[in-house]
Amino acid sequence: MSTTSKRRQGDANAKNEELKPSLWQKAFNSESQWDDKDEFLDVIYWMRQLTGLALGLIWGLVPLKGLLGLILFVAINVAIVYYFFNSFHSVDEEQFGGVSEILKEGLMTSFATFLVSWIIIFSALHS
Amino acid sequence: MLEDSLLIVFISIFTAFLGEGLTWLLVYRTEGYKKLKSQVEKQSKKLEKQKESGTDPNDKNQKKKIERQEERLKADNRELSMTKMKSMFAIGFAFTSLLSMFNSIFDGRVVATLPFVPISWIQGLSHRNLMGEDYTDCSFIFLYILCTMSIRQNIQKLLGFSPSRATNAQGGGLFQPPQFSK
Repeated sequence: MSTTSKRRQGDANAKNEELKPSLWQKAFNSESQWDDKDEFLDVIYWMRQLTGLALGLIWGLVPLKGLLGLILFVAINVAIVYYFFNSFHSVDEEQFGGVSEILKEGLMTSFATFLVSWIIIFSALHS
Repeated sequence: MLEDSLLIVFISIFTAFLGEGLTWLLVYRTEGYKKLKSQVEKQSKKLEKQKESGTDPNDKNQKKKIERQEERLKADNRELSMTKMKSMFAIGFAFTSLLSMFNSIFDGRVVATLPFVPISWIQGLSHRNLMGEDYTDCSFIFLYILCTMSIRQNIQKLLGFSPSRATNAQGGGLFQPPQFSK
């Protein structure tokens, strides 16, 4: 009897695991609840890396040069993150230690990623 | 030039994986390190929750309790840094030799063209050992440093080797001096 109930419990847990949305499904669902703040900050981090890579590729293709390219990167990167947590998910920033904690999450690494992709694409196409 | 840039990215990926692999072999997989790390993370999260729940400024006992926990956490953080130190020195020495080898291979070579002119105190790095006054010419070391900043951090995060945010927020580490309670 106890073996059967344990098996049923295991099956229920397995079904629950299947029903749990993946992190990226949660990220693109505006109604997601973020009980684990590290999970939300991880989404911000990886989203920033992809944004940095994409902007570097675009800036290199256009090409965009000089200080304007750097300033635009920072502005767009910060704007995307701000829209994501403030409008799309409407999270309470105090839960994460304030707006600045969310806005600076992964910013320097994203900047390095952006510079690498910008420099390589620009050099390959326009030097 | 494109081949040089891509080679530098590849070198950066290779050295990042090599560095993390060696660190895992010598440090991360040891029982002592795992135990200490788990202890530090639990303490950091507990302390963070206590601080977030708010402290009564007149409650001296609660304040003292939090201070004691902070000191214990800093001591554990220092111990954690010490367990990593010897291995990190050895790995650092190996990588310095590797880096100087690559430096000599790429010495004087323009590996990329920068789409911007770096500010003067970065030009020493970006234009290192390059001929001429065109500061959009990029040297090996500058591109390598940028690649490493991006790639190593992301690899650490992907492999789960970076310290938790709670641990970083509470500070501590090897160079924090011990503080004595009043």
